This record gives sequence, structure tokens and C-alpha cells, in this order.
Amino acid sequence: MKDVIRMLIAPLAWLGSFSAVYGLHGLLCGHWIGGAVSDVPLARTLLIGAYGLAMLIQLTLLVALYHPRIGAPPGLVRFVSRATGWVGLVATGWSLFPVVVTTYCS
Amino acid sequence: MNALERHRKLTAIWASEPGFRGWFSTVNHNDLGRMFLVTSFFFFIIGGLLAMLIRVQLATPHSAFAGPEIYNQIFTMHGTIMMFLFAIPTFEGLAIYLLPKILGTRDLAFPRLTAYGFWCYAFGGTMMLTAMVFGIAPDGGWFMYPPLTGAIHSPGINTDFWLIGITFVEISAIAAAVEITVSILKFRAPGMSLDKMPIFAWYALITALMILTGFPPLILGSILLEVERAFGFPFFQVELGGDSLLWQHLFWLFGHPEVYIIFLPAAGVISTVLPVMCRTTLLGYGWIVASAVALAFLSFGLWVHHMFTTGIPHMGLAFFSAASTLVAVPTGVQIFAWIGTMWKGRPELRLPMLHLLGFFFTFVIGGLTGVMVAVVPFDWQAHDTAFITAHLHYVLFGGFVFPIFAGVYYWLPHVTGRKRFFHLGEFAFALVFLGFHVTFLAMHWVGLLGQRRRISTYAPEDGWTAINLISSVGSFVLAIGIGMILIDVVLHALTATRGRRNPWGAGTLEWAMMTPAPAYNFASLPHVTGREPLTLLPDLATALARGEGYLGEPRHGWRETLTVDIASGKPDMHVLYPANTRLPILMSAVTGVFFVSLLLKFYWTIPVAVVGVAYLAWRWAWVLGRTDDPQVRPVGHGVELPDAAATDRPPGWWGSVFLLTANATFFGSLLFGFAFLWTIAPGWPPPRWFAASPVWLGAGIIGAVLSPVSMRLAIRTNRRGGGPVPGVVLSLAGTAALGLTCAAMMLGTPPPAEHAYNATLFVLGSYGLFHATLAMLMTVFLAARVLRGFTSAVRRAEFAIVGLWIDYACITGVLILLAGHLPTLLS
Amino acid sequence: MLAGAALILTLVIVLVSLSFRRGDSADTKADGDGVRQVRVWIVGLGLVFPMTVLAALLAYGLFIGERLLPRAADDVARVGAEGRLSAWTFTYEDAPGRRTEGMLHIPAGRPVDVAITTVDVIHSFWVPRLAGKLDAIPGRVNVLRIEADAPGRYEGVSAEFSGVGYDGFTFTVTAHDPSEWDAFLRGNPE
Repeated sequence: MKDVIRMLIAPLAWLGSFSAVYGLHGLLCGHWIGGAVSDVPLARTLLIGAYGLAMLIQLTLLVALYHPRIGAPPGLVRFVSRATGWVGLVATGWSLFPVVVTTYCS
Repeated sequence: MNALERHRKLTAIWASEPGFRGWFSTVNHNDLGRMFLVTSFFFFIIGGLLAMLIRVQLATPHSAFAGPEIYNQIFTMHGTIMMFLFAIPTFEGLAIYLLPKILGTRDLAFPRLTAYGFWCYAFGGTMMLTAMVFGIAPDGGWFMYPPLTGAIHSPGINTDFWLIGITFVEISAIAAAVEITVSILKFRAPGMSLDKMPIFAWYALITALMILTGFPPLILGSILLEVERAFGFPFFQVELGGDSLLWQHLFWLFGHPEVYIIFLPAAGVISTVLPVMCRTTLLGYGWIVASAVALAFLSFGLWVHHMFTTGIPHMGLAFFSAASTLVAVPTGVQIFAWIGTMWKGRPELRLPMLHLLGFFFTFVIGGLTGVMVAVVPFDWQAHDTAFITAHLHYVLFGGFVFPIFAGVYYWLPHVTGRKRFFHLGEFAFALVFLGFHVTFLAMHWVGLLGQRRRISTYAPEDGWTAINLISSVGSFVLAIGIGMILIDVVLHALTATRGRRNPWGAGTLEWAMMTPAPAYNFASLPHVTGREPLTLLPDLATALARGEGYLGEPRHGWRETLTVDIASGKPDMHVLYPANTRLPILMSAVTGVFFVSLLLKFYWTIPVAVVGVAYLAWRWAWVLGRTDDPQVRPVGHGVELPDAAATDRPPGWWGSVFLLTANATFFGSLLFGFAFLWTIAPGWPPPRWFAASPVWLGAGIIGAVLSPVSMRLAIRTNRRGGGPVPGVVLSLAGTAALGLTCAAMMLGTPPPAEHAYNATLFVLGSYGLFHATLAMLMTVFLAARVLRGFTSAVRRAEFAIVGLWIDYACITGVLILLAGHLPTLLS
Repeated sequence: MLAGAALILTLVIVLVSLSFRRGDSADTKADGDGVRQVRVWIVGLGLVFPMTVLAALLAYGLFIGERLLPRAADDVARVGAEGRLSAWTFTYEDAPGRRTEGMLHIPAGRPVDVAITTVDVIHSFWVPRLAGKLDAIPGRVNVLRIEADAPGRYEGVSAEFSGVGYDGFTFTVTAHDPSEWDAFLRGNPE
């Protein structure tokens, strides 16, 4: 079962982060948040912060999956878990990038 | 004993009852797999006939063929039947038939559950057909958006048929998914570690997990909409705090994974059949496994791309546009891995290969148009036009139907044991391929010209006539081609000559048995040392038939198999299956009474049906087990295994884990719905809030902590040889307290029909009450088992299973109470 | 996009077809995967190629999407489109109280924000030649930015299935040059 978890954890974390950032965006739009942090509107700062946190989580997972004690022993499970580890990282970077470049709440 | 005698003994033990009586009591995966496939292709024909009616209607402008009332039913049923009654059940049937064979074992994890799932599918499908025959079929489009499908705008019973009938059928999907997951993880041949599993098993496992997490949002949505229609709870009515967008989110949370649930098994077929057609092995096995996992997860992050035109802000849309483009990458990895396999090998243009070529051409086009509509501004033009209809048929027909046809022709010699005689297949393929593209290619263009989906007719001045007429002609060619394939299959089954056992020279285990497959699959179970066991040991079939594998000596009339450790494939449990029984069909029929009662609003038969299901479920579990401790049993090759009842993680525990995963997704969707309505729906805050009470909240939490703790104490006491009954009774009391507080919450909410907030709290409370009651019933069952001597310090499996359900009821119960009481208490 | 898609499809067809011509290679039942094979097919064609194309496409799509948003501008005209089964009623911010059925009047050459609403089920406001579509969702106002470059008539349809009556659920948009638009606002019947 631990092997199954190793193979699924990074994409699962992506799904969680993705939903959380999308939900954060919905919350920010539903309850207007004013203010700014050094010329960047607070809402965007929060979104980018969440993006950064999501990337950090993915990096941590990737490092863990490559770690000799936490990751799987050599074989298919190790290959697949590292591959899905990269999937999680790339998916987070790619799919949440719009927090930086697109207009929110309209 | 020799091979023939072994075969006779095993057949006597494993066979179903003879004749069609056997259909009603069979629990054998061979029979049930075939029953699923025959039924699913029956629905394929019905769906196809509906498609032909659609094309007749659209062939000419101002068509006089059918009015909009009937046409709306035709296209709704076409989509509904193809998605729910053909595609998913075909996967179920293929998986049920094939998995025990390729995994080197005797049957799936829960044979009676397989049968129950089949009958729910059969009865639910019959409900839908009945609606069609009586002209009261659902007519709101296969995704049934409210408010159109609400009580005001769809007052008839049509919509209720969809909401209730499809939910009934989905029980089949959930049951199959639980079964497939546990079977692939635990019920494999010794030595078959995860990395030696055939690739189809990986795809099926991933698909099953997707079903468990993808179907519950739809089940929730269907229940909420039906409750709205029947009792006026305004989940989707914006004037009363609901939101029609909630349905869209719930539906597409299901709907997008659904299409990957349809594609992935077909990809599994391709990954299996293509290397054999190319006389080589699959390129990039590990990459393909990782891609399938990536595809599964990414598919859960795409759902809003069906809602690009609903007014969601651009950043929100951009997330989903990005994810929708990204999903093409793991898809591309698989496609190029397959082409690379072809380059690695020596591809031969045999009949299954033709259909795989059909897949490549068609699915790639569908994928390319999919990437186009992932671009938001383009989708703003293409959405709800015939362009989308064309796209979805390209990916579904290309990505599912062609590979399944390839699989049909590939495994047909296995199912029938015969060699192909008539050569209709090649000509039929040509008709299908030609017919499909003539029907759907130009449909992209007419969509870009502005033809909308779901219109029953159009005007000559629109300029769409020529393309529609050509498309309709093409659809008849397609239908003829498909008809020829089905005739070809039937002819093959009835008339072809006996063929040899492994006509394709494949290396996977399903070819290491006699064909057609005997009821018991393998006379003895193999020890697996590689991904292509038959290639490594060409004489494997005869060796197994001679009893040289595990469990080669039938004894005591038992239906025996064994389970393995998930990762390593080391044998770990000995399992005895139940025999033929009518319990599944009976249980399914009583479940059907429940659903039909809801449909017809015969509310007095509902409690009868519920009690009936509970009684049958009790019997279902009661007939297993024994009143004395089992011995450790030899299974061959010097291995001795404990009985499953004498372990901490029996198959039933695993089944519960995965069923609870689906359940948790359902609950999570309910919480999501609550949060969505609270933050996004326009009509909030509600006129009055729930009158929270720290007393009730505290009592509920105490009960929810007491119950699992007591059960753990009972388990520990039992393990040490003491009496677990006090702990069990204490646990029961805790669960009862929790249930009472949930009931109090239900009674304390303001009238549910007044506002969505009230309605949601009421539903949350009823969910908590239901699960507390379920847990209590299981606890009483457990106490009865203890008192009757079915448990002991060794026979401890049932405690573990009940413990899981108690934990679940209590965790969700606490969350429910907090959702109800906390907001008011905090403000 | 069409050209790119056609190229990719051709690439796939060519690769699949060529695989049938490779009969000479000796070691065809290779059980292991050659490193070169993996690098070419899976990494090169499966990962690098799609990701490059998709990144470019996504960037383009997001850029265009941003440009279509209804941003503040000086000369925006505002109208309302209220959908119901099966007709549209249009209102005009610059001519309060004025309502037209089935025909929307807008000034040509100026951005127009259409506030889309519904009184019953979900509809969708779509004038293909002027803009993409935007749904009318109960309880919400969705604003679509349209702009007609030249005066004339533009056909529109509701693009969300709404049951019986959906087939004929159409409307027309008339874009006026400035003098005609003033005349319309002043109350000339049109």
C-alpha cells in the first residue's frame, strides 16, 4: 500500500493545491479584498503566495521521493513514483501560472 | 489425478447451474463478464438506432420526421445510453472477464458483488428502456441542466427516470470499481509483484479508482435534484439560495473524469493488443503506467472547461484552460510509446490491427480538436455547436469504440475457442471507418458555421443542408458496418471451427488455459516471474492443467483461491468463495423496488424495500465464516496460508476501504456544495440560521469519540482472548448518541424548502443519521456473530471491517455537527 | 490552429505508416527498451514536442482571452439582454424605459457591454460574427463585450438548450452609425 501511495501522492497534492487555489480565487471574488502589498493588490499577492506554497509542497514531495529512505527501492515503483513526482511539479507550475498573468474576478 | 480428472472435479465445483437458470444464480466471472458484454452491446445497438433516428431527423431542413418533444427524448437517450449503459458496462464486462485470467487467479474478489452489480445494471437499464418505450424518456439533454430539469420546467416523470434510473445503474459501476480495485491489488498469482502486472491491469486499477472518486459527485447531484423535484428543497433554485451552477460543477466533476474512465480501459486494450500485433513488447511500460496515473489525476482538474461560457472570471477559466492543454501530454506520451512499439517490432495488418489504425487516425483528430477547444476564446465560439458534437464523437469513437473492436477480435478466439472462418471483418472495418468520417468530419465545419447542438431542425437558408445530408448518409454506412461486425462476431461464435489455444502468440496468462475458458480458469495457479509468463514458459498451460501450480488439488468441494501482498506478490491469505446463489439477484430486485417506489412516489413501499435490503445484506454477510478456528492450510509449493477470516486485513476490509473512498468523495462533494452555495450563490444569507446548541454538539462529539475508542478496546480484548461484547455494546451506545444528535440537527433546521441553507443542513444531518444507523446495524451484527461463536481471538476479521465503518460514521458525523452548529456558535 | 493540427496529424500518420516498412531490422522482439528508443519516442515526441506546442498555444489563448475582457473605456455603450423561453428582451442604458423584443440595437464602431440575464432557465447570448457566447444564468448578470466594426444586421441565437422552442430561439442585432443611433435613442421606432 505504501508503494501505491508513493505513486499517487504528488498528483494528488497537485489536485488539492489546484482546487484550493481555484477556491481561493472564488472566495476572494465573492468577498472583495482590498488593499495592496507594495503596489501589488492584496488579492493577487495572496494568489501568488498560494501558488508559491503549492510549488514548495511539490518540490518537497519530489525531494522525498528521490530520498533513499523515503522513496521506493529501485524498480518500477520507484520509476513511476519519481515520474509522477515530476508530473505533480510540472502540473502545478503550468496550471497555476495564470495567477501571475491573468485578470482575476472578471 | 491426471489433467482430465482434475478438470472434471474443478468444473463440478466451480460451474454455474446449467441452462438459463444458471444466469440467475451465477457468481462466476466468466458468465457475468459475458452477460455484461452481451447486455452492453445490446444497449450499443439501441443507442445506435437512436443515432440513426437523429441523423434521419437532421438530414433535411424543416424535417417532418419528429417534433421537438420526441426528438429531445431521442438525443437525450442516445447520449445517456451510450455513456452509462454501453461504455462503462463494456469496461466492466471486459475487466470482469479478463482480469482473473491475466492476473493468474480463479475469480474476482467478491463474486456475489459482481452478480449484484450486473443485475442492478440490467434492472436500471430496463427502467430507462421502459421510459423510452412509453414515450416518457428524459428529454433535457444527457447532462440535464436545471432549471430546465427542475420541477417547474420539466414537470413530467421523464427527468425522474434519469435521476433515479441512472443512480440505480451507477451502483453497478461502484460495485465493479470496488471489486476491480481489490482484485487487482490482492487477487493475483504468487510472484506477480506490481512491476510484473500486465499493463491492462494497471489501466483497470487506475480506471476503477477514478470511478470510485468520479461517480459520487454525480450521484450526489442526482439525489439533490431529485429531492428538489420531489420535496421542493431548493438546491438549484437561485431565488431560495440555490444555484444552477452547482449542478454544473457537480455534473462535470463527474463528467470529465468519466470520459477518461471511458478512454483508459481502451488504452489498456491498445497497450495489450498492439505489441502482440507487432510481435514485440510494449515500449516504455513504466512511462505508460506513469502517464495513465497522470492522466487520471489531471482529468479531475479539467471540469470547468465544460463551463467556459458561464461567466466564470478569466483567471478561473485560465486554470482550467492550462490544465486542459497539459492533459494532452500524458496522452501524447502513450500515443508515441505505441508508435514507438510499432517501430520496435514487425507490425502485421491483421484484423485487430486495422481497428487500432482506425484508433490512431480518429483519436488523434479528436485530441487535436480537443486542444483547440481548450483555448478559451475559441471555445466561446465552438461551445454548444456541432463542432463539439464532432469532437466528442471523434474522441469517444476513436478512443473507445475502435480499440474495443480491436479487443473484441483479439479475444474472440479466447471466448469462443474458435478460429475465424468468415472474413466479414475487414470489409466491415472499411465501412465503419469510412462511415464514421463521412458522418463526423464535416460536422466540425457546420458547427463553425453556427449550427447549434440539440436543435431538432434548421432552415434551408442556414446553408447547412448539404453537410447534414452527407453526414446522415455516412451514418447509415457506419451503422451497416457496425451491424456487420456484430453479425461477424455472432457467426464466429456459432459456426467457426475449433482453433488452437494461443493464435496470436501472446505472452499474457489468459492464453495459458483451454479455450473457451473453463469455469475455474486455471487448474492450478502459476508462479509468475516476469511480465510475459507464457513467453518465459511456453508449456505453462499444460503444466498448470497437470496441477503443477498452487492449489492444484481440489478438496472438500471448496472454491479456493489465494491473495498476495500488494507490492511484492507474496501469497498471504487463503480465501474460500461462496457458491452459486440467488441472493444477488434478489438483493438487486429489492433495491429496484426501492428505486421504483421513489420514481412512482409510492412512499409506503420505500421502508419495506429498505428493510428488505438490510435483511438481505445481513444474510449476505452471515452465510460466510465458521464457528471453529481454521487451520493454516497448505496451498502448494510448500506454502501455508492462514484463512482470510484469521487476518487483520481480509478482502472485505479492503473492499470497505475502497467503498468508503467513494463514500468520502460523496461526502466531500456535499461539503463542497455547501461551501459553494454559501460563498457563491446569490441568495445568501438565509432568512434565519440554525439554532446551534453546544449541548447537542458536545453530546455528538462525545458519542463520536466513545464509539471508535470502545471498538478498538473490544478488538484488543478479543485479540487477547477476552470477551469483546462490553466494548461492542459501549461502541453501539456512542454511535447511537451520534445518530441522535444528527437527528436533532435535522429536526432543528428551519423548513428545508425555505432556503438552500436549511435544505443542505437537513441533507447533511440525514447523511450523518444514515451512517450512524448503518454503523449501529453492523455493530449489532458483530455482537450477534460474537454471541453465536463466529468470532474468536483468531477469527478477528469482522471486527476490523465493522471498525472501519464506525470510524467513518464518527469522523463524518463530527464534521456534519460542526458544519451545522459551529457557524452560529461562532458569530 | 487548423494548419498546426493538420501538420501534427500528418506526422502521426506518416510515423504509423512507416512502421510497417521496417521489416529488415534483426532484433525485433527486443524485450528491453533501447535507451535511444525511449529518448526519441517518449521523451522527444511524447514530452518535449507536445509541451512546446501546447505552451505556445496556451500563451496565445490566454493573451487573446485577456484582450476580450470588458475593460473600462470611455465610449462603452451599455445594453441589457434578458432571456426567457423563448425570446429576448433588450434594454438600453442610454434610453431608460425603452425595451425591444427580438432585435438589439447597438452603435457601430464602439464597444458595447451586454448585461445578460434570464428570468427562467439557462440561455446563452451568441452573435457569432460579433463575439463568442456568454450564458444567461439565473440570479446572475454576465457582461459580454461586443463590437460591430460596421453598421448592419447580425444574426444571433440562444446557444443553451432550453427544451421545446429552442430551435427557433433567434434574435437580430442591428448596428447603427452614429446618427441612426442617436435617432434610435431619441425614440424613433425601429
